[in-house]
Amino acid sequence: MAEIQPPVEEIRALVGHEFPGGKYTVAHWENFLLTECTGAEPLPDGQVHPVVLFHMPILGANTSIGGMFALGQAESDFSIGIESYDWEIERPLHEDVEYTVTGKVTEADRMEGSLRGASRGVYDRIQFRFELHEPGGDFAASSTITWTYRRSRS
Amino acid sequence: MNVQVGDSIPEWVMESVRPERMRTMAAILRDPNPVHWDRKAVAALPFGLGERTINQGPLGLSYMLNMLMDWAGPTSVQRITMRFPNVVLDGDRMVANGTVTAVREEDGVRLADCDVWLAREGEQPCLEGTATVALPED
Repeated sequence: MAEIQPPVEEIRALVGHEFPGGKYTVAHWENFLLTECTGAEPLPDGQVHPVVLFHMPILGANTSIGGMFALGQAESDFSIGIESYDWEIERPLHEDVEYTVTGKVTEADRMEGSLRGASRGVYDRIQFRFELHEPGGDFAASSTITWTYRRSRS
Repeated sequence: MNVQVGDSIPEWVMESVRPERMRTMAAILRDPNPVHWDRKAVAALPFGLGERTINQGPLGLSYMLNMLMDWAGPTSVQRITMRFPNVVLDGDRMVANGTVTAVREEDGVRLADCDVWLAREGEQPCLEGTATVALPED
């Protein structure tokens, strides 16, 4: 089997990588469908269901789930695992408010151990942090995503 | 709201994780991973999961958010941190649970720290983590 692990130096060099950043506004239809997927009723006063803190920061920072897979040189969609999600909510998010979003890689390194459902092996652990600010500049929320990128052995 | 360490949070139940919700979620998330919408792709994995799609991690997390918001109010959740030791599959009946581990005050707001988890009844958690919730005034 050919060596297909990216050089560890390339993985470690991801720390500090910043996504372009941008703006994101959650429309009513998006919040409605998102909330329905969770099995809950719509929240009052146009509040956005906090599950939005997964995809809104990613898309608002002008990247994508696929883009984050590619940044870590994922072997395939199936090689990605979730280590943890950490969401902080300083102010509840609302529909039709334009939030400013920033995002960057905060940790990246090669590890060895057992991942869920798989035997012991090599993987890269990459952590992303996104922040959302209200139009006036106040901090609203953050999302820290830590994924594992399973690597095949040579 | 009278809350004490050791209190159980009323459980929140997803009676059946529905594959069509995973598909809607995949579209909203722009998530290209077929494990969330293609049962044959899941069956082809070496994990013995059968032809059942895998629920998105954030959707499982949302069941615990729903539990916390039903308990303490829609604007109550201040932080939630979650790990994912096992997958949730379409058709699963999932129960969100929680217990209060600390009650404290910060900047004049009463906060409850909680352990939270999501499991099939009688099984080990599929998701587990912690949350901090602002408690409503009495």
